[in-house]
Amino acid sequence: MASQNMDPAAGAASSTAALKGSESGGSAARGSVSKRLQQELMTLMMSGDKGISAFPESDNLFKWIGTINGAQGTVYEGLRYRLSLDFPAGYPYQAPRVKFVTPCFHPNVDENGFICLDILKEKWSALYDVRSILLSIQSLLGEPNNESPLNPTAAELWDDQEAFKAHLHSTFKE
Amino acid sequence: MEDSVMESDPAEVSAPAPLHGVADAWESVTAALVSPGGSGPEPGLSDSLALLCAHGLGRLLGGWLLETLQMRLSSSVVPEFWSGLKQPENELEERDRAWVLLTAFRTLLDRLEPFLGGLERLGMWQEEGRGGLCGPGPRGLQERAFTIIRALLLFSPSPVLQERVLEFYSRTFSVYMNQEGQCWCQEALDQLKELSHILSKLQLLEWVSSEAVTSILHKLIEQRMEQHCRGEYECSFLLEFQEWLELVLGWLSKVFASKADADGTTPSIPCTPSAPSAQAGQPGSSILKQWRCHMHQFFCRIYVNMRIEELFSIIRDFPESKAAIEDLKFCLERTNQRQQLLTSLKSAFESRLLHPGVHTSDILTVYISAIKALRELDPSMVILQVACQPIRKYLRTREDTVRQIVAGLTGDAEGCTDLASELSRGDPVTLEMQDSDEEGTEPEDWTPDPTDAVPDKMGSKRRSSDIISLLVSIYGSKDIFIDEYRAVLADRLLHQLNYNTAREIRNVELLKLRFGESHMHYCEVMLKDMADSRRINSNIREEESRLGEEEEQPPLSLSSIILSSEFWPPLKEEKLELPPVVCQAMEAYTHRYEKLKAMRTLSWKPHLGSVTLDVELEDRTLTNLTVSPIHAAIILHFQEKSSWTLEELSVKLGAPRELVHRKIALWQQHGVLREEAAGRYYVVETGSSKEKMERGVMLIDSDEERDSNTTTQSEQREEKLQLFWAYIQAMLTNLDSMTLDRIHSMLRMFVATGPVVTEMDVNELEAFLQRKVREHQLMVSAGVYRLPKSN
Repeated sequence: MASQNMDPAAGAASSTAALKGSESGGSAARGSVSKRLQQELMTLMMSGDKGISAFPESDNLFKWIGTINGAQGTVYEGLRYRLSLDFPAGYPYQAPRVKFVTPCFHPNVDENGFICLDILKEKWSALYDVRSILLSIQSLLGEPNNESPLNPTAAELWDDQEAFKAHLHSTFKE
Repeated sequence: MEDSVMESDPAEVSAPAPLHGVADAWESVTAALVSPGGSGPEPGLSDSLALLCAHGLGRLLGGWLLETLQMRLSSSVVPEFWSGLKQPENELEERDRAWVLLTAFRTLLDRLEPFLGGLERLGMWQEEGRGGLCGPGPRGLQERAFTIIRALLLFSPSPVLQERVLEFYSRTFSVYMNQEGQCWCQEALDQLKELSHILSKLQLLEWVSSEAVTSILHKLIEQRMEQHCRGEYECSFLLEFQEWLELVLGWLSKVFASKADADGTTPSIPCTPSAPSAQAGQPGSSILKQWRCHMHQFFCRIYVNMRIEELFSIIRDFPESKAAIEDLKFCLERTNQRQQLLTSLKSAFESRLLHPGVHTSDILTVYISAIKALRELDPSMVILQVACQPIRKYLRTREDTVRQIVAGLTGDAEGCTDLASELSRGDPVTLEMQDSDEEGTEPEDWTPDPTDAVPDKMGSKRRSSDIISLLVSIYGSKDIFIDEYRAVLADRLLHQLNYNTAREIRNVELLKLRFGESHMHYCEVMLKDMADSRRINSNIREEESRLGEEEEQPPLSLSSIILSSEFWPPLKEEKLELPPVVCQAMEAYTHRYEKLKAMRTLSWKPHLGSVTLDVELEDRTLTNLTVSPIHAAIILHFQEKSSWTLEELSVKLGAPRELVHRKIALWQQHGVLREEAAGRYYVVETGSSKEKMERGVMLIDSDEERDSNTTTQSEQREEKLQLFWAYIQAMLTNLDSMTLDRIHSMLRMFVATGPVVTEMDVNELEAFLQRKVREHQLMVSAGVYRLPKSN
């Protein structure tokens, strides 16, 4: 798995850095990242998944806005969350920075919208894409990891689903 | 008393003293002035003049003379002239009318001549300063006299004069031009000469004749044009017209014969227009030059008018009508009628070409001719660009445009062979090159665009006249053409089924020159597939024959075309279950293929292909029938059971009933199957003559056999729109609301251009969004689009 997170271009660039400038390699890499992001966008559009969506915010392909609808049968049903996705130049060998823009009351989301999700951190792989990230976050909403909560209040309340739902819906602001 | 009577003459009112000597002198001088004889100055006259001048009366002489002229004119000469002209009304012959006209002018001249002579004499005296006389001289006096004559004579001209003059000139003109064998031909020319002299003497020539001459010439040019040029596009008329113009100028030189002529330097102008151009160069040439210019201008204008009317037909006949185009170009440069041409041509296109009744290939043919013709007419291509805009716009709305163009390019279309020859033309303009910004020409060669050029981002250097690039640019993208070509190529290859690709290879190579290597990559792979298939096929066959002894021979010989699915256009999916016998053969084939090519397998398209089979019946055999797989599958099922219902067959084949019903018709037509009641079919083992009769009546589903195997352009378009819709939904979901322009630019930026997706222009997008609004899938307010809440 780890080997997939190595950028072959970066590796090659570092080993041959003495021979040629790394800038050309960098811009070429950026071009290929754009291509990959464009491809991911296409995949996302073609997939037609319900409840998740994302699109570049402006003409910058490296900053996207995502939308996740709470999955049916969970306390989040009927709520809609905005997220921001920031792709680093090293994408997909580095994970994108993903956070909630809409305040989200959830055991694994802090008050600034930061998300504690393994695949966005140590378990990131170049095989993941925007679609899988959004699907993961959507399922995280319904199945939080209460072992390492970012929001202890939410984690404690989680067991009482009725109370959690009441609190969630009363505090929800789009 | 006597004095007071004399004083009634206004010239004498101012005379200071009624000296008898002065009165006598006045009498003698004025008598000498108006006397027709014009005798030399008598000795007494000079004294009288001196006396008059001494009393300050000399300068009154001119005024008196003009006054007298005016009185005479208005009291007798003018009425006489007009009544002379009208006098014997209708019953005259043309010849007599000419005579009357001439006589009237003769009388006019007779009556006025004494005055003109007097004026000249007085003028000469003034010039000589005889007896201290001074004044404007003969020219000044005459000028004033002529003004008075014109004013009084032509103050209220009767239409009779114009008619007569016109008639007279027409006659002399036709006499001059044709030497018509009428008896008074020579006479007419003499009369013309005389009339011209009189008129020029009275300086009435311009006033009386111009209008008549102009209208004669205009009528003649128009007539001539109608007779000679209308509908004739294949030869140039400019030179011929020049010659004719010189001939006409010969006649004009007679009409406008100057005074120099009149004084008898050329005593008799010959009747034969032997050397008209030589005559045209004679005196009075400045007037003639004017007329020449005028006629030339007029010719150009009329010619352009006529050709503008006919331009559509000229374009239609183009390579043959090149002469007409060249003439038109010459004339158009001299008249300011480009705008008129554009408007008229545009509306001609719209009314004659751009309606549903015209076949797309015909529109294309005319468009191609228009490109060829208009680039001759206007090398700056502005006319082409502007006038053909409606055609391009219209073609965009036709669904089969691309297919027709591609068919034309590959030489499949019936009508337009132009495109195929254009494609194989040497030194093609590559579309790649046009896309680049490289400046090809020298800065010195730059010429500004004509003023009617459409201001757009395409500069003149981008304006191309290359037929193929113009056609391809109708859609603004060459990808759609390449896709279509790919579809056409796929169709051809899949219909042929014989691995023979020589012609296609040639086409692909030619297109590569146009579109660039990279765009034709897919097509190359397709062609390579054919070659590979042939090789693999013969490999597998060989293996089969080698195995022959040990294992049983495959029940039927199968050859395949192996397509690299990534590179072929999407093929139509149709479900079809083939009979087990065929499936086995296919499996065996797949097995061999897998052995040959490790890690690969075949996925069969059972509905594509062809089957050659023999049908053996009790009393007859149909041999070598080539049918489609579904036909073969149907008849194969009748081998095990001689009667099937439609329902059963449909289940067996996994194909819809209607399809089976349609396909079965072929076998009914061959007289192999017969339909009994309730949709049950039987094999006709013994054919009777009666059934053969019936066969002829059966309908064939022949059309369907030529059906395309690939998805059509409109299907692809629908697919494209669907994809765009997904993008639009996603953008609006995440970014809430957007304007049309923003959506458009987002689409352009982020829709990855695969082989199917092509660009969409703003208007198209707007129409699409409007549709979605009507379907309540989208909301719009104040130009901002958003998704409805429920979504």
